[in-house]
Formats: sequence, structure tokens, C-alpha cells
Amino acid sequence: MAQLTLKNLGKSFDGTDVIADLSLDVADGELVCLLGPSGSGKSTVLRMVGGFETPERGAILIDGEDVTEVPPEKRPTGMVFQSHALWSHMTVADNVAFGLKLRRLPKAEIRRKVTEALDLVGLGDFGNRRVWQLSGGQQQRVAIARALVLEPKILLLDEPFASLDQHLRERLREELRDIQRRLGITTLFVTHGQDEALALADRIVVLRGGEIEQAASPDRMYRAPETRFVAGFIGSMNFLACDMRGGRADHPLFPVAAVVPDGPVELAIRPEALTVSPGRSAGMSARVHRKTDYGTHLLLDIVLEDGARVKAMCPPSGAFEAGQEVRLTASQVALFRDEVKLAEVRTEAREVAHV
Amino acid sequence: MTDLSSTGPVRTGGTARRNGRGLTGLLLVSVPVALLGWLIIYPIFNAIGRTILRTDGTGPGFSLDTYVRFFSDGYSLANLWLTLWVTAVCAALLLAICLPLSLYLRFAKSRVAAVVQGLSLFPMFVPSVILAYALIRTIGPNGGVDLVLNALGLPKINSPYLTPWGPIIGLVWDNIPLTTLMLVAGLGAVSDNAVEAARDAGARPWAVLRHIILPQIGNAVLVVLSFTVLSIFSAFTLPYVLGPASPEMMGPFMQRTFGQVMDTRMAVTQAVITFAICAVFGAFYVRSIARNRKNGR
Ligand SMILES: Nc1ncnc2c1ncn2[C@@H]1O[C@H](COP(=O)(O)OP(=O)(O)OP(=O)(O)O)[C@@H](O)[C@H]1O
Ligand SMILES: [Mg+2]
Repeated sequence: MAQLTLKNLGKSFDGTDVIADLSLDVADGELVCLLGPSGSGKSTVLRMVGGFETPERGAILIDGEDVTEVPPEKRPTGMVFQSHALWSHMTVADNVAFGLKLRRLPKAEIRRKVTEALDLVGLGDFGNRRVWQLSGGQQQRVAIARALVLEPKILLLDEPFASLDQHLRERLREELRDIQRRLGITTLFVTHGQDEALALADRIVVLRGGEIEQAASPDRMYRAPETRFVAGFIGSMNFLACDMRGGRADHPLFPVAAVVPDGPVELAIRPEALTVSPGRSAGMSARVHRKTDYGTHLLLDIVLEDGARVKAMCPPSGAFEAGQEVRLTASQVALFRDEVKLAEVRTEAREVAHV
Repeated sequence: MTDLSSTGPVRTGGTARRNGRGLTGLLLVSVPVALLGWLIIYPIFNAIGRTILRTDGTGPGFSLDTYVRFFSDGYSLANLWLTLWVTAVCAALLLAICLPLSLYLRFAKSRVAAVVQGLSLFPMFVPSVILAYALIRTIGPNGGVDLVLNALGLPKINSPYLTPWGPIIGLVWDNIPLTTLMLVAGLGAVSDNAVEAARDAGARPWAVLRHIILPQIGNAVLVVLSFTVLSIFSAFTLPYVLGPASPEMMGPFMQRTFGQVMDTRMAVTQAVITFAICAVFGAFYVRSIARNRKNGR
């Protein structure tokens, strides 16, 4: 249906650059999640696409057409806000019908489209309700229906589920994903929850300080983070500082080999890449500090002899107790120096254990 | 079983606390209620009593003669009409000035808005008397404006001083801050997102105002209207200093009837009539506030 292109966007508030130079292509029907810590400029980017902020530099193109100077009321975008955006003096149906009425569509067509849109979000019977008679989740669904009924080329959502509880958030997330797939609508979704981004996105764009840190599929974002920031921001990650000497890390537990210039590095290991077994490691002792049972897995908080902490995931059957000494092996280790990834090392668990 | 026994004490604790709170509430309310009774309710009934009970000559008796006199006297009626007219014009002008101003203050994000806000509150700190004389010095005969026009070789203005427009200008100026503040507060209920969502749906600024903003601040406008009507209808200083001598507004009229004509009963009658008209708007005010509460949930 539509393609969105951001070209060298720049925006500053009160003289400070919030977005320095951002370029991004969103393909037709793609769902892209903008992910980043608070203040990284996610909302600013989204609001520029919606027309609520004007970029100082660069251009925004929808289907190749420059819309940078087009006001929101004339842009083919539909926005869903975080909260408090429904018009409380109207009924649910009137909220959805508002944009259609402005377009002076025939009454019967408006009624049909409103019913369709409300059915789409599962609120077919709620048309006559007042906005404040709805739960938070239902209100956000109305907001989605209100944006979709105008058949925008681009759907924009700014943390639409942030004020909802975990369960509802997960359910609405799936519903939104289904609707988006069915309509094939190009979507830009802002969130600061990495789980939300991983669950929803075709592609995740991690923003940091107004710049794109990495843009990749959820799978690559998780398994092959390109910067230390992304590695730490998406999922949980253990970082262990050590030195590289002659192609080998000098960490007693994980002396991984990699072709890397000598100097300080950080070993990055996912909790699930660690294998824990009872016993003593060769180089350095490690003790279970705390055990958390999540039902599907155990999460062990392990203290190393030098005081460093690592988290390790193991099957729920693992019999570990706090204070117990354990042996650690890692199947995959990434090496970072400052922000940059130097190498990615896959090791046979056995091999490392016997070094 | 355990459930039942555990809810017992909790519930009694709850009622005890509720009773305690009720008592505190009553105590808190009793002071203003007592003051209201002493300073407002009692004088009202006292005044009404004094106008309808005749104590002269033939002994005590019931009579509406002052009311009859008021409503059959062309001059009194002209004064009443003038006051109503001035009030209506002031209310209309205030809305026309303060609504755009408050919309600007609510939605503009520039630093100029802060300055405008400060300026719009300024009249609140100027006492009416000083304001009245300042107006005389600027727009009165041979005032500042006339001097400037004269220096430019232009004819003098037709001064509003001592015409109904004198008090209108003064009263509007005097009421701008409070009206603006109330409207801005009302506009606070309209969230930025609600306005942006409307624009997103294709509403131009005018449609946003008509379909989104005005319906949501309707109550605030009602409150503002009844409030300004109340304060303008009973205004004294500005009409007294700036207004025409004949017909005159109810404030100065009452004062003159009381102080110069020495017809106390007639003056009180005028006051009761003024009060009755204000009370209608007061009822409006109370009703819109109550409705606000109910919708506000
Ligand atoms: N209207 C504004 N005026 C001034 N500064 C602003 C404005 N809007 C945003 N900023 C600044 O721009 C930066 C980015 O803000 P933005 O709202 O885009 O962050 P975000 O990534 O959406 O954060 P969050 O997750 O908290 O919503 C912040 O430092 C913020 O202070
Ligand atoms: Mg944001």
C-alpha cells in the first residue's frame, strides 16, 4: 500500500539536537518498531511523521511524495496516542465517525464503516457507549479503530499500550499484529519495551540519543547485536571485563580465543548461553547467590570470585541451591571494545570447560 | 468461616472511621455555614422583610408599594435596563476577548505566551478606583489619547467617559484576568492528544475549535458567564466614577437613593431586586459546577 522514507531528518528543541541525522526506509506493509530508552527521540520521530512536529532538516516521503510541509490534517497518516486522546463528549461511534463526517461521506456509508472498524477491534456492540464507560484496553481499541477507519497509508502508534497491565498489553499486541497483517498497513510503532518490539516487529530500529544504533530483524537484533548498547538494551546480557592477550581473553572462566588486537575487552554472554553444572571451575570459583524459579526455567544469580555477577538460565529440573559452588561454560561469547563489537565466538561447551 | 470472621472487625473499623470523618467534615463545614447565615442569609431575609413590612403611621402591615413604585417608575426601569444591557455587552466582549486569549495561552508553546499570560493577569493587581482615574486620564476629555490626536492635528475622540461605554471599558478591562484564568483552567481539561487526534482525523483549526474544544469547555464558559454577570451586575466603583448620571447603573442608583434621596426602604428594594436577578445567575453557576462534578468522575 505505502512506503515511508525518512531522509536525513534533523530536529532540535531549544537549541539542543534531539534528532541529529536520521534516515530510515519502511517498506510497504512492514511493521517497524522504534525502540529506545526514555528521551531517545522515538516520539519526536513519530510526531514528525504524523506532522505534529516540523523537522528542521531533511524530508519525509510517503510513496515517494514529499509530505514534510503537509499539516497533520492533510497527511495520509493515522496516529494512536498513548492515552487521553479520545473525545469524552462523544460516544464511541461518534469518535470513530468524526473523521468520516469531516470528509462529508454519506450517512449510510459512515455507519457501515464505523461498524466495520469497531468489529475489527472487537467492540461491535459498544458504539453507543460513552468513552468513560470503557476500560483502558477498550479505549485504546477505540483509538485504533478511529485511526484505521480513515484508511491511512501509514499507521503510527506511540506507546499505545503503555498504560495497560501486562496481560492486556500482550493480548492487544497480538490483536494489533493480526489486524496489521490482515490490512497490510505500513506501521511505525514506538515502544520502550523490548519484549513488545521483539513480539511485534518485522524490523526493530534501536534509537539512542536521536541516532539509529542498529536496525535489524528481532531475531538478528537479539542474536547478533552490533553495539554494546544494543547488546545490553535488548534482552539481558552479562558483561565481563578482561584483557585480550595474544588472541586469547585472560578471563579465567572464559578464556575464549579470537583474532583481536590486544587490549581491554568486554565479554558479552546471554544467560541462556551459559551452562551451569555442579562442581568447581578450573580458574576461578563461582557460587550461586540466588535462585529464581520462573516455572519455565530457573534463573541463577551467580557471584564470581572477583565479585562480578552473572545471570544464567537453566532448565527447571536443575538442582541448585544458594551458596553452592558451580562450574560455568559458555556456548556463545561476543567481544566488545568500547561500543564496537570485535568478534563473535561460538565455542563447544566441552572445549572451553577443559581448557 | 475464616473469611467471615476476618471481615467483621474490618467493617466495624471502617464505619468507625467513616463516622469520625463525618464529624470532622461537619465541623469544617459549620464555620462557613455559620458565616453564610450571619453575613448573607440573615441580611437577605432582613432586607426582604424591611421592604414588605410597613412600620410607618398606621402601624405594622404588609405592603409591596416600593416594588410597585420601582416597576412603574420609568427612571428606575431605565436604570435596570441600562445595568442589564451593560452586563450583557460586558459578558459578550469578555468572551470575545478572553476566549481567543485563553486558547492562545493554552495551546501556544512559545515563550511569548508566558509574557502574554503575565500581562493578562496585570489588571487584577490594579484597584478599580485607580483604574477608573487612569481611564479618565487616557480616554477622558482632553486625556492622553486626545493630546496625541491633537498633536497629530486630528479631531478629538468622542470620549466614552460618562456614557455607558465608560463603565463597559473599565469593567471589561477589570474582569479580563479572572475570566481568562477560568477559561484557561477549563481548557486544561482538553488534552493535547485529543486536539492532535482531531487534527490527525482531518480537522482544520476551526473544526477542532467547534467540534472538540468548545463542547468540552461548555461548562467552563457557563461558569465564566454567570460569574462575570454576578460581579458586573453589582459593580459600583467603575459605574460610579465612569458611568453616565442619567440613566445610571444600579450600584450608583442604590447609593444615591440611600445617601441623597434618603429613601432607605426604596434603596433596600432596589438591592433586593438586584439580588434576585443575580440569584438567577448564581443558580446557573451552582448548577454548572454541580454538573461539572458529576461528569468529572
Ligand atoms: N516539545 C518539546 N520541547 C522541548 N523539548 C522536547 C519536546 N519534545 C521532546 N523534547 C525533548 O526531546 C527529547 C526526545 O523526546 P521524545 O519525547 O522524542 O523521547 P522518547 O524517546 O519518546 O521518550 P519516552 O520513552 O520517554 O517517551 C527529550 O530529551 C525531550 O526532553
Ligand atoms: Mg515518547
